[in-house]
Amino acid sequence: MKRTLALLLALLMIVPAVAGCTPKKNGDDTGTGTSGNAGPVEPGSYQITEFPADATYTARSAMSKIPGNWNPHDYESDDASTIFGYLVDGFYSITYNDALHPVEGRDPFTTYTIIPAMAADMPTDITEEVKAAHPDWIPADATEGYAWSIPLRDDLYFDTGYKITAETYVQSMKYILDPRLGNYRAADIYNGSQGIVGAEAYFKQGQTSLVPFDNDSTTYADFIAAGHTDDEVYIDIDGFWGIQTADGKTFACITDDTMIRDPAIEEGQPEDYVSAKYLWDNYLGPNGAYAGSGYDTAYVGYLKSYAADPKFEDIVGFYAKDEHTLVQVFKGGVSGFFLYYGGIQDSLILVEPDVYESCLKQDETGAWYNDYMTNKETSPSYGAYSMTSYQADKQVTYAKNEKWYGWHDDVNHVYMDPNDGNVYRTNQTTNIDIQVIKETATRRQQFLMGQLTTFNLEETDFEQYGHSEYAWSYPSETCAGLWLTGNMEGLTAREAADGFDTATMDVQTIGLKSFHKAMAVSFDRQAFCDECHPAYLPGFGLLGDQFIYDPENCLFYRDTDQAKQALCDFYSVDTSKFASLDEAVDSITGYDPDAAKQLFQDAFEESLSLGYITDADNDGKCDQKITMQFIVQTSGDDVMARRVKFLNSNVQEIVKGTPFEGKVEIVESAPTADRWLDTYRTGECDMFIVGVGGSLVNPYNAMGIYCDPSQNLTAAWYDPNSDMMTLTINGEEITMSVYNWYAAMNGTMVTAGGKSYSFGSADCDVDTRLTILAAVEGKIMQCYDMLPFCNFGSKILLTQQQFNVCDEYNPFFDYGPRRYNYTDAEWEAYCQEQIAAHGSLQY
Amino acid sequence: MLKYTLQRTLYMILVFFIITFMCFVLIRMLPLPTLPPGDIHYDVIMMRREALGYNKPYIEQFAIFLRGLFTHFDWGLSEKLYTGQPVLDVFLMKLPPTMIVNLYSILWTIPIGIALGICAALKKNTWVDYSISTLTMVVISVPSFVYAFLVQYIFCFRLRWFPLILKGGTDWFSFEMFKSMIPAILSLSFGVIAGFCRTTRAELTEVLTSEFMLLARTKGLTRTQATVRHALRNCFVVIVPGIFGEFIGILGGSLIIESIFSIPGVGSLTLDAINSQDYNLFIMSTCFYTAIGLAAGLVVDISYGFIDPRIRMGSKK
Repeated sequence: MKRTLALLLALLMIVPAVAGCTPKKNGDDTGTGTSGNAGPVEPGSYQITEFPADATYTARSAMSKIPGNWNPHDYESDDASTIFGYLVDGFYSITYNDALHPVEGRDPFTTYTIIPAMAADMPTDITEEVKAAHPDWIPADATEGYAWSIPLRDDLYFDTGYKITAETYVQSMKYILDPRLGNYRAADIYNGSQGIVGAEAYFKQGQTSLVPFDNDSTTYADFIAAGHTDDEVYIDIDGFWGIQTADGKTFACITDDTMIRDPAIEEGQPEDYVSAKYLWDNYLGPNGAYAGSGYDTAYVGYLKSYAADPKFEDIVGFYAKDEHTLVQVFKGGVSGFFLYYGGIQDSLILVEPDVYESCLKQDETGAWYNDYMTNKETSPSYGAYSMTSYQADKQVTYAKNEKWYGWHDDVNHVYMDPNDGNVYRTNQTTNIDIQVIKETATRRQQFLMGQLTTFNLEETDFEQYGHSEYAWSYPSETCAGLWLTGNMEGLTAREAADGFDTATMDVQTIGLKSFHKAMAVSFDRQAFCDECHPAYLPGFGLLGDQFIYDPENCLFYRDTDQAKQALCDFYSVDTSKFASLDEAVDSITGYDPDAAKQLFQDAFEESLSLGYITDADNDGKCDQKITMQFIVQTSGDDVMARRVKFLNSNVQEIVKGTPFEGKVEIVESAPTADRWLDTYRTGECDMFIVGVGGSLVNPYNAMGIYCDPSQNLTAAWYDPNSDMMTLTINGEEITMSVYNWYAAMNGTMVTAGGKSYSFGSADCDVDTRLTILAAVEGKIMQCYDMLPFCNFGSKILLTQQQFNVCDEYNPFFDYGPRRYNYTDAEWEAYCQEQIAAHGSLQY
Repeated sequence: MLKYTLQRTLYMILVFFIITFMCFVLIRMLPLPTLPPGDIHYDVIMMRREALGYNKPYIEQFAIFLRGLFTHFDWGLSEKLYTGQPVLDVFLMKLPPTMIVNLYSILWTIPIGIALGICAALKKNTWVDYSISTLTMVVISVPSFVYAFLVQYIFCFRLRWFPLILKGGTDWFSFEMFKSMIPAILSLSFGVIAGFCRTTRAELTEVLTSEFMLLARTKGLTRTQATVRHALRNCFVVIVPGIFGEFIGILGGSLIIESIFSIPGVGSLTLDAINSQDYNLFIMSTCFYTAIGLAAGLVVDISYGFIDPRIRMGSKK
């Protein structure tokens, strides 16, 4: 989903001037409401303010790297989506609301709406019709949301002149699912409930693969109870243990006791040879160490064989109804915002069939390769821009694609400026120039000479440019936390190592919850932000400010009463002392030195009672020194050094007057490289600061990183399956595990007290879901393993050649469209004049 | 000499194959990037690896690689960084900017470096020598990327004599391209000049104090004649391998200088190939540099015999 967001944003930002659209031609509802406060403006009732026809407007940007392949069917990096993002378009688009696109209940320029792009109109639900023709594609009891018919515009062309019809989409779908090519993005087509029916079977034709129990929301016990046997249960031994069978298979039956050499273990050491049966008995089975952890459903499952040589039309729910009507059939029901976001919107990117065919090649081993979209000639466009030049690792340029319908569209590709009330075209940028510039110093100089559109401010730039009128803030969606280890097993192992003198040193105390609690209120978040990066903002919850719980109306989770109350409860804010919840939340600093001192005293007493530390002379002081290892990937990292310095000096100050005075120290760990997460999980190192994300429009699912043992970084010592939580839902008191609350609010049917519950979007009202979400967030925070710390925001300088139309940031379209103050010719003259007068442009 | 050359060539081929095989196996032994549990692309990645033959025994994969190489000089296609493109084409595409910038640099730095070294040696223990030697020490102690940033800031940003980065396009020999290369050329030059200056001064100083130089002067040669005919020739035994080294270095590129001036060269190619596990690209570049390195060693060794006839390679006497 995160990739979907990235792609969607890439599509939205294909030009700096991303703007609104218009009411639909027929005035139908778009799914986000169009009968709002201002009322739709009729097409033709406004005059479009045209940009000078002979002028050029160039957006110039820098990338650290231009990928050598941006094939939309096979790309793996976000950089690639940036490159092809200018060349493609979607069925539908998200645009901010303006007078032309009002959204019910929302003021203009504060939210967004969905409008048709390559589609001629909004889609039609034809579930019943498709079910009648293909009963095996859609569940018998489903009546809506599974099959959608999308009408296409009749003026769609590639820049090569190739006309785009519904059949072109079908052909592209065949290409991306072509099993010979093994396209990386094929998985995006068939994965999840928004996957296309039959796509996986077509892609994996003739193969046998393991289906994890997670995919069917089932477990080993359920599988056996359904009449299956152990001979049908398999482990993903490659994914779980990093080994393969002698014949190269990545899975093996749980009854298979063939020993396999584990190359990661030195010969002669324990577990140098393991079998699937061994892994089952010791780790993943009902009596294994990871029973109920989530690993036992993520890496265990059953085998599924796919028929060889199936006919695409027979099994894949994706076909052309007629020349301009495309039908998509999903594996699950999809509607509302998510129909356009991650549904029919962007799971397939078109390819030009003639060019694509010419790019297919086979090497002498029989392996197929495809060099589509690896240079200008193999990059046909059906988006707003055509690629005009490409030089590997150096530069890529684009110019207007005159065959793109949007340049001549007076209905959907125009917006009304909130400041002057005039209607402008969405796209003003005529040319795009992307260069590889790796060094920040070079980018800064380029920007100050007018050769780049934006410059991302570094810490050292803030004093000079931080308050510039051209500086714009970009908050991050995630809240970064200070993660503290609770892995007592790992900490104990460290103490048992040679050279660790327990008389003078201790690390076990670090794992105590009481110690974590003390740490939680020991740091002034604002001071940390000021010290480490001026663009950082203090953060106090697990979920950041940008998570949207109601994407239909762009409503933010952190703005809800439930979320605010959760913070007040966690930080012990007495809300009765404030006029409103907002004021109560605003009073939170997360920093309480007096409470911290008391909590360190409590931690001392607990650690003493557990025998982790001593106080031989009964002076009330800890005899051991506690040195905490802050994880760094590489040595000499200034950012990390600054963080460690801040944390260390602050904690040393806080523990003064406590039993830990002079006894607690935070230092950089030895460089951990790619093992940094592992060193935290295993207790080899103690702490780090990192933000974990998730889908911006699905905060419920984003909690998986804390609640799902298969994702959770703290799974080695925190079990959300056994941590129980009681909530009163609709007057009923329900007690179940944190994991089950998480699963239930994401739509999974769970059982508690002999009753089944599901609190997905289709099962209950949004307030109930928010209540659960806030409770789960609060419960996880009370583990004190992840202490919310700050929001890693950023700030950019925007060129004087352009300006943002909106002042308010929105995660979907930043600050709305950008327009130009100068044409390219005017800009060049302006730059020369300014540089001659001042040495560089003045920001 | 011929026997020696043949013998070294055979050794060279043997070493080349050993290194190639080791690299071939080692890159494939690198663990694949870890995917989060349940990553939807896991199946696709495994399918692709199977299709590309990466699950076959290493020796079989190596045999397939050699077959392609010897039957039609096929180095394979890039799998990750430049998907579907022949790695040889990719390498050759990226070689020109690296070579040209480095070539321009050494073409003027080596004569200047040697000239300054000669000057310092001939004016030993004078203010000229002290000035050159001090400057040399300062320059040689500072890494080239520091000069790069200084050159970029002073000549490109402040004085605006040159563009900040290399011009786009492949018109390598146009004036505009040359102009945009000058900052990179300058940045690469300081260290080379200082290096040759120091080596030349040291060698020439030693040779000039040799007894045969005294003999040459007593025979009636002028100081200039003795220096040019005898001293310089002797000190070139050390300098010439350095010149060869510089020319070989041309092909290697400079990771940092290319990064600062946005030169699309080969500087980071091998590193990127390792990081992205683009096996064919890595093997191609590794083989290239291995072959160049081994060949250079041979050429340098043989060159000693031409520069100084007293050196007889392979002679048992």
